[in-house]
Amino acid sequence: MSPFQKFQEWHQNRHQYAQEWKARTGGKVLGYFCTYVPEEILYAADVLPVRILGSHEPEDVTEPHIFAMFCPFCRDCLAQGLKGRFDYLDGIMISQSCLHIRQAFWSWQLHIPTSFSYYLPMPHHVQSPRAQDYLRGELAQFKGAVEGWTGRTLTDADLDRGMEIMNTNRRLMKQVYELRKAPNPPLVGADAMEMVLSSQMTDKREHNQELAALLEKLPQQKRDGDPPVRLMIIGSEDDDVAFIKMAESLGAVFVSDDHCTGTRYFWNEALPQEDRLMAIAQRYLDRTPCPTKDWPERRRFQQILRLAKEYGVQGALLIQQKFCDPHESDIPQLARLLKENGIPSYFLEFDMTVPLGPFRTRVEAFLETLREEDLF
Amino acid sequence: MATAVEYWRWTESRWTAPDVDWRAGKVITAGVDVGSVSTQAVIVVDGKLYAYSSMRTGSDSPQSAQKAMDWATEGTGMTIDNVRYVVGTGYGRVNVPFANRTITEIACHARGANFIYGPSVRTVLDMGGQDCKAIRCDEKGKVSSFLMNDKCAAGTGRGMEVFADLLAVPIEDVGSLSLSVAEEPPPVSSTCVVFAKTEATGLLRAGWPKNRVVAAYCSAMAHRVVTLLERIGVEAEFAITGGISKNVGIVRRIEKELGVKALEPGLDAQLAGGLGAALFAYALAARAAS
Repeated sequence: MSPFQKFQEWHQNRHQYAQEWKARTGGKVLGYFCTYVPEEILYAADVLPVRILGSHEPEDVTEPHIFAMFCPFCRDCLAQGLKGRFDYLDGIMISQSCLHIRQAFWSWQLHIPTSFSYYLPMPHHVQSPRAQDYLRGELAQFKGAVEGWTGRTLTDADLDRGMEIMNTNRRLMKQVYELRKAPNPPLVGADAMEMVLSSQMTDKREHNQELAALLEKLPQQKRDGDPPVRLMIIGSEDDDVAFIKMAESLGAVFVSDDHCTGTRYFWNEALPQEDRLMAIAQRYLDRTPCPTKDWPERRRFQQILRLAKEYGVQGALLIQQKFCDPHESDIPQLARLLKENGIPSYFLEFDMTVPLGPFRTRVEAFLETLREEDLF
Repeated sequence: MATAVEYWRWTESRWTAPDVDWRAGKVITAGVDVGSVSTQAVIVVDGKLYAYSSMRTGSDSPQSAQKAMDWATEGTGMTIDNVRYVVGTGYGRVNVPFANRTITEIACHARGANFIYGPSVRTVLDMGGQDCKAIRCDEKGKVSSFLMNDKCAAGTGRGMEVFADLLAVPIEDVGSLSLSVAEEPPPVSSTCVVFAKTEATGLLRAGWPKNRVVAAYCSAMAHRVVTLLERIGVEAEFAITGGISKNVGIVRRIEKELGVKALEPGLDAQLAGGLGAALFAYALAARAAS
């Protein structure tokens, strides 16, 4: 089985994977709601962090628990819990990001009790000079809570191990992304998305092995045929592989992204320093921010532009989960910035399920505007 | 038993250029626009319009495409074998069995509008059977940007069919009837077809005459598509394509709200998609030959 098939299998059978991991290791599994969760500390404690994501099926269980104008992603996540699909979890946690996903977390905590539940007050003003000390203090408290839950003291060596596991995963995925710079990349956007998604649901030590194996073979692989139109996809949480596949069936390839299921998740590493918790705090403060934390300076925009240029992006799809105000507020300015830099973009609003037919027409028409068409 | 009158039923049509001998032409191409409500087959001989048909789309897209093509060529002696290149477009574009290529209706409408209205068109509003598209294009009819309405059939042909039936007014008369009001009524508050129908039923019950009810609906529809146009920005010249372009009640209200006159079509603007497809087919056939 090729590594990409393995990633796909892990993504599709994420619950089975976690249950088998638990049976095999006797360890605890923790479900997390946002990628600002410091997984380093969980790996240090040999807890398996798995990201809670939706399943893209219509659901009817969250209506009493989540406001109608909250995003479909947070509803889909909560639905998984209410349907009992994560009933193997020993704990849950969230780092403060937006109030929609936080509502999913609070509701989960209320209705699906677990032995551990943690709310980590990740600061919004990550650009503040006080943010580092604040977050370091919060991480120290969180570490204490994990120690209390698991009954083991976390040493510097444990934290180093946690950071090494996470950093290796980040480094290897970045190396895979590097290959997407090729005129006809050896991997498509759907492969890349499955790779990152599976890294959020499996033991990263195992994931790292697959990545290393992949990196031995992938650089030699060549794709035949005309180079496809190079797209970047930018916006809210997005694990809609069906959409990516549909768009890539139209003669396009996604070569990069700005998603928390993509580059925002793994692009930067925790840099070693004596104070381990400070190293971890700085990593999360310096990562490509979610728009909830991207102020007063818009740091995400510069990262997007850098990626778009480095990866030779011809056009960008700007997507947002319906009602995701932080992303929506950024989109007009982002579209303008891309346009000023010669990159046309097209906006799409995502829901729990997307209408593939109408979206296909839009993406196809957008691609027609990008191609040097033989029609005129 | 009395036969129910189908007020929603619009006239299907076909046409052949009386002064063109297709056998003398060098390159015959066709465009087939299988929309959600109507299907058009358009035949072009050496880049000039030769024949077309416009009919209702059935439940079977390949069959609708075939029927439209058969009707367009009826009585001409032309068969599909005489057609060098066919482009399929519209929602059913992948279901045109004899198409050589598919191109989106967005690109085709811009190209078709460029042919129908001339190269000065910069903004095209396609009001189709089940969706609306606001398109910006250049002097060649190449799309520079576009927007489509989301998740709702408001401001579309299907909605108008529902209203024609509710009010028992033939669909082709709806537009002019809506303009016969002495004073413009407030628009219906909901543009969702089903809820607007509920609201209209209430207005009828409250004693509103039909022309006032239909004016309230047309006004709401026009406002809705104007917001779509404003999002993309309207640059003159402005033209409307698709079935609703024939509804004078909607067109006049859009013009009024935008403060921009829509160009008058020299041809049935419902053909724009199929025509654009046939013209693209002509360009592609020429390219293949060279």
